[in-house]
Amino acid sequence: MIKYHPSKQLMQKHIMGELPAGLSVAIAAHIELCDTCSKEFELLEAQQASVTFEEPCEENDSFELDFMIDDITQLSMFDQVVSHEPDIFEYEDKRVQLPRAIAALKLGSFMNAGKVSRARFELDEGPLRSSLLHIKPGGEIPEHTHTGFELTLLLDGTFEDESGQYVPGDFIMLDGRHNHSPRTKDGCLCFTLVDNALHFNKGLSKLLNPIGKLIY
Amino acid sequence: MVSLEQSIDCRIQKGKNVGMQETPSEQLTQALINVATHADKKAYAYLFSYFAPKIKRFGIKQYGSEAMAMELVQDTMTSVWRKAKLYRPEKGAATTWVYTIMRNASFDALRKIKSNREDNLSEEIWPLFHDEQVCERSFKDHLQSNQLKEKIKSLPAPQRDVVVGVYFEDMTQEQLAQHLDIPVGTVKSRLRLALKKLKVELGEQHD
Repeated sequence: MIKYHPSKQLMQKHIMGELPAGLSVAIAAHIELCDTCSKEFELLEAQQASVTFEEPCEENDSFELDFMIDDITQLSMFDQVVSHEPDIFEYEDKRVQLPRAIAALKLGSFMNAGKVSRARFELDEGPLRSSLLHIKPGGEIPEHTHTGFELTLLLDGTFEDESGQYVPGDFIMLDGRHNHSPRTKDGCLCFTLVDNALHFNKGLSKLLNPIGKLIY
Repeated sequence: MVSLEQSIDCRIQKGKNVGMQETPSEQLTQALINVATHADKKAYAYLFSYFAPKIKRFGIKQYGSEAMAMELVQDTMTSVWRKAKLYRPEKGAATTWVYTIMRNASFDALRKIKSNREDNLSEEIWPLFHDEQVCERSFKDHLQSNQLKEKIKSLPAPQRDVVVGVYFEDMTQEQLAQHLDIPVGTVKSRLRLALKKLKVELGEQHD
């Protein structure tokens, strides 16, 4: 069962369209996988819509807009719904149906570092980097802290860290206060979003610090 | 059924009595349905007069620019007109539908400013509908009555396929059974169910 969900605050900002694309993509993907959040989203969006449109505007505010009506109603109307084709992502010998928002993104090529492969989504959001991360069975990422935040949305397989085991759909938001060393027994596929490089804490893996940026 | 006439009266009254006013949800929803089914310009003008100033207010809050706010009004209200037929009253109020369109347009505009990307991701992040599979091209071309079309679209998929096949693609029940890989008896019973449902629905509308 999915145990980790976006906070109410994030959900609200998502509804208002105020989050960076990578974060809204992750929340939309979680909503697609999580019935509870899907219902909550619908409820909150309807509430937000009422709040936005309830409050009356001053009456004389509207006439300057009226010239638009004629222009718009000259346009032809859409008649057809284009049905959405689910996108299948293949890795190892598995086929995973990617959530729609993730499937829509343009993915760069994969880079490998041991059991970890990572491809960037081309979102152009400066220091915010969204990636598709694939860890092979038995793989792990050395213990690290986050200098900013790290969001992981598990899409397929499982992994565990000091806080327990995660299942597909889990939306795991970590920040500078958390240390963790995720590992996966059977392999997994994740959407990740980080806003800064990771910081590796222990022994030899400190050597990895310069490539923290590379892995995530 | 709430008529459009009432909606317009309601708006005029609103001008006279300033103060908190309930959102005229039913009138808005009905107006949107009228735009969808009859390309009703009067109903559209009502929607416009209700939503446009509020979208402008939202835009000014969002961008701090009146010019951009006006662009948001134009984008949003254009989509409201052009996509009206995709509105599903059973899925939510007209206010929610318009809000979705507005938020999406605003998100795409902000993304263009911040990342200089015109990838219009909003439609994928907040789809107007999920997994909709209606309205084949032949279906569209043959159908004359928009109202009937709306009703047929809202049938459960198995019944809809049978109605479309028999009435709009000129297939025999046998051909259709073969095409859908189901027994002829199933085609017949689905058709019966669908027609019964359509009769009830259309009948209700004329009451």
